[in-house]
Amino acid sequence: MSRAALGPALALALVGLALASLAIGDRAIPAAELLGALAGDRASAPASAMIVLDLRLPRVALAALAGAALGAAGAVAQTVMRNPLAEPGLLGINAGAAVAALAGGLWLHGLPATLTPWFAFAGALGMAAAIWGLSWRGGTSSIRIILVGIGLNAMAGAAAAFISLFAEITALQRMQAWLAGSVAQARWETVWPLAAWTLPGLALALAASRELDLLAFGAQTARALGQRAQLAAGLAVALCALLAAAAVAAVGPVAFVGLIAPHLARRLAGPSHLARLPAAAASGALLLMAADLVGRTAIAPTQIPAGLLTTLIGAPFFAWLLWRGRHA
Amino acid sequence: MIGPSASAARFAALLAALGLGLALACLWSLRTGAMPIPPGELVGAIFAPEGSHADVVVRSVRLPRLLTGLIAGAALAAAGAIMQAATNNPLASPGILGVNAGAAFAVVTATLVAPGAAMGTLVWWAFAGAGIAAVAVYGAASAGRGGATPVKLALAGAILSAFIGSLTAAALIFDTGSLDAVRAWTVGSVEGRTMASVAAVAPYAGLGLAAALAFSRQVTTLSLGPEVARQVGQRVGLWRALCAVCVVALAGSAVALAGPVAFVGLMVPHAARLSVGVDYGRILPVSALGGAALVVAADAALRAGLPGRDVPVGVGLAMLGAPVFIALARGRAVGRAEARA
Repeated sequence: MSRAALGPALALALVGLALASLAIGDRAIPAAELLGALAGDRASAPASAMIVLDLRLPRVALAALAGAALGAAGAVAQTVMRNPLAEPGLLGINAGAAVAALAGGLWLHGLPATLTPWFAFAGALGMAAAIWGLSWRGGTSSIRIILVGIGLNAMAGAAAAFISLFAEITALQRMQAWLAGSVAQARWETVWPLAAWTLPGLALALAASRELDLLAFGAQTARALGQRAQLAAGLAVALCALLAAAAVAAVGPVAFVGLIAPHLARRLAGPSHLARLPAAAASGALLLMAADLVGRTAIAPTQIPAGLLTTLIGAPFFAWLLWRGRHA
Repeated sequence: MIGPSASAARFAALLAALGLGLALACLWSLRTGAMPIPPGELVGAIFAPEGSHADVVVRSVRLPRLLTGLIAGAALAAAGAIMQAATNNPLASPGILGVNAGAAFAVVTATLVAPGAAMGTLVWWAFAGAGIAAVAVYGAASAGRGGATPVKLALAGAILSAFIGSLTAAALIFDTGSLDAVRAWTVGSVEGRTMASVAAVAPYAGLGLAAALAFSRQVTTLSLGPEVARQVGQRVGLWRALCAVCVVALAGSAVALAGPVAFVGLMVPHAARLSVGVDYGRILPVSALGGAALVVAADAALRAGLPGRDVPVGVGLAMLGAPVFIALARGRAVGRAEARA
């Protein structure tokens, strides 16, 4: 496929998958009723319009936004760490979000559920800051960031286990779906804040795409070309953390979207970040929407959380990446 | 460099000190609990039981718990030491490289598929899971350019753990009742084991330890790196495979008994190497003793510090061990191993 056709092709795929997700489900919606509902006609088929507009549309929008944020965050992470195996989730952002959300949800009884995303957001950002700080030794190195991330990840996992052990089992079961990474609880109230974070974040990443191109050459080359590399890398990590944290806060810890989407994007769009970032965002959105569609229809009425499916696809994909020896 | 006889005396003194520390930890572990038992009755309960209430508590609750900690600690620490030598990787350990996670997932699967399976069966599931995980992680990490570098191994282990965590979560979606039963075990705990379980696993762990000690010279040679090992005439592939079998036996029995207790296999061998040098004939026994003492003492400390809450020992050890891992990752040894690869 030529690169000029890439944009329209990805857009077409997004719209097609979104329409399919709106139409398919426990109750199939005929095309005429679907288009009618989307045009704002609630009167002629009220039940279908309710399903499409109030149940499935927020879910599709949430999956698309979270997937886009994770895909773009993954692309930024891989550039900054100069390691095609880096992924925001593996670096502790998911674990930080999970611990904070568990602590908030299980310890502070009577806490409104709407506050869980804020706890998760704070936990993810705190974790990213801790990783960046701990791997600092007169500058950072990508290897230290990855390893410190793995260590903190294990610690956060133990903390999460500690918290959940002394929780009421019913409260824990309620959180289990969120912990696996799921868009099943989507409501418009969770979609809007995510959109308000993600869209400016994506715009910012695009605006910085030239700086990211420079960073991809490595700190020394970037410095020789006149970039303040450490500052640029720090800002890029902050942006990556903000995007990933917003996504995780909304849908729970979804792993591997941030790993797979940037690889697809690199294949499709080449090295320039101006083309690669939108492609990564679109691939991430497609991945998470597809995972949710498969997860809720494959063995209905049981819903497989989207995060489970992305992990089940992602881990073999990671092994394949190692196998291909693309790791320089 | 100290002379050989001086360092031998130092090694003997260290072993004696560790033995004493382990004995004290065991005593502390046996004494700590809801019911106070005087030391005299402890000895009586173990060697000449009369069926009193204290005897029953000691023999059916505290002794199995102590032995579980002993076996798991010694086996995991020895497994970690072997892995660090055989992969020339300061970050290697059964926990980091996903071997524990593989064994744990196999045991969870077995308890879901065949509820009430005996420990003698579960331990073989654990061996299979540990073996598959070890082969998968090492295979994936050593493929491609540069071979199995510390970072690639650690990443592959982390990914495998994430993958297995998802599989476990998936299994628990279909069987929500098991969540409560499995959750304490999946972080590593020495609580609630029976004497029969301990007796079923002990022979495998003992065999693994004995083999590790018997191979210690070969392990030392492996730890010098594949080039040196080949130059002195070692068949590196063969000995790495034998080391892997040892690790699977040790980690598999530890996990079958106590669950995936984290970081013992990482911390203890490093401490041992710092105190006795590079000879695995010394590192391995010191690691085994130290690992056993660490797990037993950590469990006793958690029980004494948080009475009535029963915090799994794996949680406490992860809180202790993760900072050690981070310190190692920040240190120079990893940089050297990366540069060499």
